[in-house]
Amino acid sequence: MRSIRQRLLITLLSIIALVGIVTLARSYLDARHEVQELFDAQLAQSARVLQSLVFHEIAEGDLGPESEDDLERPRRRQLRKRLEREESRLDEHHGHGYELKVAFQVWRADGQLLMHSISTPEQPLAPEVFDRTNYRGGFADATIGGDHWRVFSLWDADHRFLIQVGERHDVRDELTTKISRRLVTPSVISLPILGLLIWFGIGGGLAPLRKVAAEVTRRAPTYLEPVDVGPVPREVRPLVDNLNDLFARLASAFERERRFTADAAHELRTPLSALKTQAQVALRASNDAERRAALEQLLAGVDRASHLIDQLLTLARLEPGTHPIQRQSLQLRPIAIDVLSELGGKAVAKDLNLELTGEADPTIAGEPVSLSMLVRNLVDNAIRYTPKGGSIAVAIDEDEEGGTVHLTVTDTGPGIEPALRERVFDPFYRGLGSGTPGCGLGLAIVRQIAELHDARVELDDNPAGSGLRVRVSFPRPQRAASGE
Amino acid sequence: MRVLLVEDDPILGQGLKVGLGQAGYTVDWLEDGASADTALQDETFDLVVLDLGLPRMPGLDVLSQLRRRGNEVPVLILTARDAVGDRVAGLDAGADDYLVKPFDLDELTARLRALQRRHAGRPDPLLEHGEIVLDPAARRVTLRGEPVNLSQSEFSLLQVLLENAGRVLPRTRLEETLYGWDGEAESNSLEVFIHHLRKKLGADLIRTVRGVGYVIERPTS
Repeated sequence: MRSIRQRLLITLLSIIALVGIVTLARSYLDARHEVQELFDAQLAQSARVLQSLVFHEIAEGDLGPESEDDLERPRRRQLRKRLEREESRLDEHHGHGYELKVAFQVWRADGQLLMHSISTPEQPLAPEVFDRTNYRGGFADATIGGDHWRVFSLWDADHRFLIQVGERHDVRDELTTKISRRLVTPSVISLPILGLLIWFGIGGGLAPLRKVAAEVTRRAPTYLEPVDVGPVPREVRPLVDNLNDLFARLASAFERERRFTADAAHELRTPLSALKTQAQVALRASNDAERRAALEQLLAGVDRASHLIDQLLTLARLEPGTHPIQRQSLQLRPIAIDVLSELGGKAVAKDLNLELTGEADPTIAGEPVSLSMLVRNLVDNAIRYTPKGGSIAVAIDEDEEGGTVHLTVTDTGPGIEPALRERVFDPFYRGLGSGTPGCGLGLAIVRQIAELHDARVELDDNPAGSGLRVRVSFPRPQRAASGE
Repeated sequence: MRVLLVEDDPILGQGLKVGLGQAGYTVDWLEDGASADTALQDETFDLVVLDLGLPRMPGLDVLSQLRRRGNEVPVLILTARDAVGDRVAGLDAGADDYLVKPFDLDELTARLRALQRRHAGRPDPLLEHGEIVLDPAARRVTLRGEPVNLSQSEFSLLQVLLENAGRVLPRTRLEETLYGWDGEAESNSLEVFIHHLRKKLGADLIRTVRGVGYVIERPTS
């Protein structure tokens, strides 16, 4: 795509040129018309002047219609001389180039040329006026000897003679050409100047944008401070504001990411430390039983580190914005049954009473894999923290109004103090460290999955006594018909 | 040497307990900060190995409480955080040394020996008393240059008595040094060990203070 500058320049110059051409064309036509009018008027006026001159001569009998004889020749010559003098006098006095080309003829009604100016041909300037039965005057265009003439004919009905005054068109053309040239020249010269001015003008106008761009270009990818380019025009302000908003969001996302990575790295150090220590203990063991015990601990440690890594990956994959989940209509109960059958062995081994209660099986919009992860983390936590012989109940039900679907996991473990119920969702926070080999990510994962499903997670006391109740409330899909 | 180990990670804690035991320490292991705080108020330890990220009471709080009570027991902190700020905070709270996880068991025991030595105010890593030389790192004792064969309990007993030369150590303290909380000390086992030590190193080395405990006199050199 072309630059804004080029585009604006081309557009503006095209518009200016177009408007200029239209204006010039209009002015040219106007000027030509006016020149025509003016010259025609002059031509007519010349004819009238000539008429009065000729009429005077005729009245004196110099040019009587029937006086075409030898006697009258000297008078005619005299008249011609006067006219010629007049002609040359006019030339000298006005000395105007355009006037030179005016010619005239005086015709008798019988078609005899009474007189004419020096440079005038002897045939009628405008022959068509003679074709008419009664001579009538007016303007006509004629071509004589390759030249174009404008002719005005004036018929003196009283004295029955015709005056024709002609003028070559090139005079007019020359004038109109000159006028139009004067009109066009400044425009042609001014167009590039205008272009240059527009170029710099647009450049100046775009300067704030360039400043913002330069400011952004200069940045290292990790430098996310707000762009500060001082006051910017109203048009650029939204760009700067939105950029700064984006930078702020990126900075907080980076910071969150950085903190999470640092936490994760630190969290991995303890399991690694445990592995190393157990390995060294095994190496130094003085008997097989001691060595065996250490190696078993080492294996348990490897399992635990793998679990931590799995949980970290799960959480990373659930990071909002990385993978928009594909929701579908589904029932929670089959998912819960899957998870409980998988974890049931662990519960039985700890002598825990694990059960799934309720009959309802409402439909929600969700993504089955992540929901299964949510249930697994909740039940796994409950199994970890509930002491031997306790019980864990998983329930699925919906509101009376049918607006919300609840998944509830209730245990008889130690519960969580109200003051800590918000903190336990933080990654790596462990409410009860001692003896429970969790990695502190379970509830963070639960909350993340819940948020992806627009669900709420609430922690409460077990209403039946000591223990924790975790309730995840899913919004019931409004329009979703089952099987959608 | 009785060590209090405070570490909430079960596998690491178990490993350290066994590993330090292999190095001749008597280890008492606690898994949260509050219990450690209580134990440190009630009992005497020669060394403390303290993790910082502890449930119920942060390790740094345990440490500053300990120092506020005027207890000077050498403390080595274990931390997963290796930023300078974290280490400085630990040292400023009263730690004598620190190790960043994951660490080497050998380094841990070496540092613990160094802490003991500094705490006892002797620059020489070897404990010498007359013609007896005890090497804590090699866990070896020589008498007039000849190696003396001692059991682990005998060695620990001799070491604690030599480190506290000139001070009468009560029976209970010596029993705790040998067994920690796990040991079922038979009523006369301490006497048996003392008897063995006297037989191997000389009858007048360890003196009995009746009704109180035992003492090795400071050498008058």
